[in-house]
Amino acid sequence: MSNGTGLRTPPYPTSLPEGEGTRRATSDVILKWSFIAPTLIFLIALNIFPLLYNIILSFTNANLSSDAHRFVGGQNYARIFSNPVFAQSIRTTALFVFFSVTIELGLGFVLALALKKNFFGKTIVLTVLLIPMMLSPAVMGLYWNLILNGSYGVLNQVLGAMHLPQPQWTTDPSLKLIALVMVDVWMWTPFMMLIALAGLNAIPNYIYEAAEIDRASRWMAFRRITLPMCAPLLLLAVLLRATDALKQFDLVMAITGPNDPSTQTLSALLYQVSLRNLQLGLSGGFSIVVLVIVIALASVFVRYLDALGKRQGKFS
Amino acid sequence: MRALHWIIILGYVFLAALPLVWMGLTSIKHRDDTISMTPRFIPAMHEPQNISGPLFEATTRAYHQLADRFFHYLFNSILIGVCSTIASVALGTMAAYGFSRFKIPGAKDWLFFILSTRFLPPLAVVIPIFLMYRQLDLQNTHLGLIILYTAFNLSLAVWLMKGFIDEIPRAYEEAALVDGYSRLAAFRKIILPQAMTGMAVTAVFCLISAWNEYGFAMTLNQTSDAAKTVPVYFAGLQGQIEGVPWPQVSAGALIFVAPIVLFTVLVRKHLLRGVTFGTIKQ
Repeated sequence: MSNGTGLRTPPYPTSLPEGEGTRRATSDVILKWSFIAPTLIFLIALNIFPLLYNIILSFTNANLSSDAHRFVGGQNYARIFSNPVFAQSIRTTALFVFFSVTIELGLGFVLALALKKNFFGKTIVLTVLLIPMMLSPAVMGLYWNLILNGSYGVLNQVLGAMHLPQPQWTTDPSLKLIALVMVDVWMWTPFMMLIALAGLNAIPNYIYEAAEIDRASRWMAFRRITLPMCAPLLLLAVLLRATDALKQFDLVMAITGPNDPSTQTLSALLYQVSLRNLQLGLSGGFSIVVLVIVIALASVFVRYLDALGKRQGKFS
Repeated sequence: MRALHWIIILGYVFLAALPLVWMGLTSIKHRDDTISMTPRFIPAMHEPQNISGPLFEATTRAYHQLADRFFHYLFNSILIGVCSTIASVALGTMAAYGFSRFKIPGAKDWLFFILSTRFLPPLAVVIPIFLMYRQLDLQNTHLGLIILYTAFNLSLAVWLMKGFIDEIPRAYEEAALVDGYSRLAAFRKIILPQAMTGMAVTAVFCLISAWNEYGFAMTLNQTSDAAKTVPVYFAGLQGQIEGVPWPQVSAGALIFVAPIVLFTVLVRKHLLRGVTFGTIKQ
């Protein structure tokens, strides 16, 4: 379909009035690109361009304190992969992601099960539960220092009153990561609960009624109906949470600082290398490696989202 | 079984709310009470040294003592948050309309590209952005952070708004077009009023994420306080624990999180949509 202007008219998805024909089609093309282009330009300038810049930096020995730098090939990457600190931070990050996401999933699902029925004051309870995930991790992280403090923190004082051991959460190297997981769980369990609750509410009641007629036990109904029907949404929640937890930086900074070997996540290490040690080339290589890890996870997520969307489309 | 439900629910509500409640209590305590070895649950009403002094003087002191610097940072947070929110909702709504109503070559790929920018770890681009900003003289400026937060929130804005605009029946616009409206006029007079709720919800989510952002704000404001935001100020206090003025910090933190609590209450029905980029609707 040609309209004489050299622009191809897109086939209309709907039955728009075609009476004015070409003029409207041309102005539509201008309109749609002027609507979309600013967003795309913005995102390319602040995401794609810096990324390419980083890739170039990663092959040089650039340094923030001097302007001179030269091409060093794959040296930075060799240094990263031979550095035990990098391996350690991968391990720390993996442990952090695994434990926080697992606990959040378990706790969130149990809460969602408890909150499924209607009861008096449900809206208030739900709203209160959801507040932690909206708060600033940097500010709340600092505040948790006071709660977790070994001697004057309220957590230990309560534990002491119940004659339980009072661990030094923020100073004992073996407990610091656990403290971080605790704060992350406090913050993000509501997120899992919210999505799990949506999954539970989407299960039509007649399925449970049918199971009851078939004399399925409650456990059976839970295992054969509730779990499988919630699974897609729970997986979505886990993927979203995992990609987010992988980037955890604010809490680390606020609770233990960027250079604590026992809680140095990938992001914290990256910060240490680039902004404290000012090794731009090395940090460029670093961020590319981190990026590859995140992209691997995110692409699983995006693909899953796509599949989920298709399935929803099929049924609705 | 019923009892178990209530124990789980009330127990968790207690745990979830505790840090905020404790924060409120700390903010009205005397400094020595915040770091005493025995917990003080009910704040003292008087100055400990001055029992006959005026009631409540000690309890509201932290709020009076909040440094001017805190309000400077709070002003920065508000300015940067509001400006970047307006920009990302405006750009996001336009782009979402484009993707929702027009055939765009590779539309799905573009949308996933937009979404993928949200998964990018901020620290992976922080150095190049730092260097760019140094070249352009955008370090330590409000504008610098506004641009950055706008870009950062655009992905969320586009995806959320696309969900909302997809729900507006096309028939409305078609009727307007038949009546001789131009496309732009139809967008302004038909789509925008219908999309108001969606824009408000999107704005709240953009505002909250700009409000809470820490990594970039810290990196790009290292040499001056001019555009520092509240999270940078608070996180900077870490490490000098004995010296942290806890009552003032709690008072400040409470003022800082109060709007978020309010907004959470306002958008509670749309939370699910917001945290899943509009992919789950209810």
